[in-house]
Amino acid sequence: MIARFFLGVGLCALMLVSSFGTYVYVGGRHSKVAAPAEKPTAASPRPTAFRLPGTLYLAQSGAIYSLSVGRFHQLTPEDGWMQPSLSPDGNYIVAVKRNDFYSDVYALGRFGQVVRQVTNNAGRPYDTTSQHWSFYPRLSPDGGTLWMSYDEPKYGYDALFSIWAMPIGGTIRQAKLWTNSNDYTGGDIGPIPLPTGGIMYTKYSYGPDGNRIGQLWITTRPSPYGAEGRALTFPGEDCMEPSLSPDGTQVAMICTYEKQISQLTIASWNGSSLGPRRAVITDQLVAQPAWAPDGSGIAYLAPGTGNGPFQLWFLPKDAYNPPAPSPTPVPTPTPGGPYNGPLPSPTPAPPVAPPVIKPIQITMNSGFDATSPLAWAG
Amino acid sequence: MAGTLAYFLPSAKLAWDATGQVVSIPSPTPSPASDLSSPSPSPLAQPKDAFTVLLLGSDDDDKFYAEHVLTQSMILVRVVPSTHSVTMLSIPRDLYVPLSTGGTGKIMDAYSYGGAGAAIATVQNDFGVHVNDYIWIGLLGLIKLIDAIGGIDVVTSNPVVDDLYPQDIFSSNPYGYSRVAVLPGPQHLDGIHAMQYVRSRHGDLESDIGRSKRQQQVLIAIRQKAKQVSPGDVPNIAAALGGEIKTNIGLDRVAQLIPLAASFDNPDAINSLTMSSPLIHGGCPGGSLCPNWSAILALVRQYFP
Repeated sequence: MIARFFLGVGLCALMLVSSFGTYVYVGGRHSKVAAPAEKPTAASPRPTAFRLPGTLYLAQSGAIYSLSVGRFHQLTPEDGWMQPSLSPDGNYIVAVKRNDFYSDVYALGRFGQVVRQVTNNAGRPYDTTSQHWSFYPRLSPDGGTLWMSYDEPKYGYDALFSIWAMPIGGTIRQAKLWTNSNDYTGGDIGPIPLPTGGIMYTKYSYGPDGNRIGQLWITTRPSPYGAEGRALTFPGEDCMEPSLSPDGTQVAMICTYEKQISQLTIASWNGSSLGPRRAVITDQLVAQPAWAPDGSGIAYLAPGTGNGPFQLWFLPKDAYNPPAPSPTPVPTPTPGGPYNGPLPSPTPAPPVAPPVIKPIQITMNSGFDATSPLAWAG
Repeated sequence: MAGTLAYFLPSAKLAWDATGQVVSIPSPTPSPASDLSSPSPSPLAQPKDAFTVLLLGSDDDDKFYAEHVLTQSMILVRVVPSTHSVTMLSIPRDLYVPLSTGGTGKIMDAYSYGGAGAAIATVQNDFGVHVNDYIWIGLLGLIKLIDAIGGIDVVTSNPVVDDLYPQDIFSSNPYGYSRVAVLPGPQHLDGIHAMQYVRSRHGDLESDIGRSKRQQQVLIAIRQKAKQVSPGDVPNIAAALGGEIKTNIGLDRVAQLIPLAASFDNPDAINSLTMSSPLIHGGCPGGSLCPNWSAILALVRQYFP
């Protein structure tokens, strides 16, 4: 009788343990699709396997981070910060701080401390039409002018961005409207000040097929209505997010061809027009390409594997600008010697296939803000 | 076995509650396509046969009575397993049509008058298609679903800016306004921002039709992301959707459809259609859209035979 009692207790205990074990096992079979992104500073493995030159600034979860000598540093708290951009002398950053109702441009030190609030877009509480967005801040080559996308003028429901320029030490009242946005498109965004004066930016419009498309545009002066520069890309290419190479001769951008794809595309640039496009990455959802200051490659954001948060990637220069193949040595007949007959013709060496250079994934579990351009200091 | 049961029990209960909804389809009233199809429901198709699902999306915040919501989004989806192709047709919510519950009105009203059955019958009668299944989801359900699968990757087509976006989710005042600025380009969207992207219409020249295109984009992105989901994620997803999803699809059929959905991996085999001019034009009562039935039915016959 006692033996049967202990047997029963033992079986009950076994059932409990196995049930608990099964529960834990099944619960552990998560796909991790909903796992939150890690802070770059906690990235595992640490991004020391490949070191990018200079210092790269990027945003995640409302905080700005720098990546320097293979290590990330958090510069601001997670408080709506995004879209860092460097001053020409590299001494400070301009960046956006956004909340649910408005966003402002701030000047920050290189270590993230707020130096000054540049715009004041808060408006009146509960009056959403009095509030404003400022995005994509960039400074002119002389550092004196702030370019940005700003949602003024507004026309009721037709809220959209235009490109504005204001003195970095001034107020929005001193700002000048540079572009005339197309109604009900979302407008003009992402000004890139050009060394020759003027700006390159992305203009949204309705394409011939009625779909909204992005086009790179250039303009060299503030916009009187109807005279605001010209398009650099075709509507069907649906290109956006341009980045000018350090030597000013190439533009990297993304083009979607109106599909849910995003190809990293490069074109030569002569200061007024783009050359033929070259798609250098076609199998990733590429965002925010940025040239390395030393010309060694292009950093960009793209999902790690499958669909997921955006990681930092680097495409070495040799991938899109392969070095010329080394000439095949041709044997030269040496005059003289014991043999004076005809020389055998040399067997041509088989052509050496250039090594395939693939993009390098710098982070694994981060979740960078793909709407926030990268800033890269030398 | 007991551990597995305990793990999946909450999701099984929620699945039981949400699926297999019994739909009462009202008798038809004379309609543009009444000579084209039988409105009476036919047996559900087997997964190897082509079938049509009506996706319904509603604002279900405090402004509405739970059982009398409008369907702000109506998308007919035809799935052809043999060719692994999918066709999506967005029906404008403001389309002025004969309603299955009687009279005429905006098509989004059908659900509020008679629930899913009335919405299905209206679509069947007016468009001449047979709807095999329906899935209804509320605003909060979509947000939670997208968060439960870890967000989605989307190439947003343009800046979506709206100064008068309804502040009816997570708000004590559902009649207030919020501001939206979804920036353009490739990005990873969480539930809230995906909802802003598909729901905002004020800054869109095409208004409801424009956002229908964005809704289809997001649907495709959800399907793409869902391929990464494993059985262990089911309880979390079910918990997220509790009370925010309804469907007539039974659990047995869900089990048949999941592997089918996973096998559709060619984005070019997904056909996205919306109704714009000349299929519709303005000028109908109450700001509704007038249908050009001959053009609409020609399109429907082509893609929903």
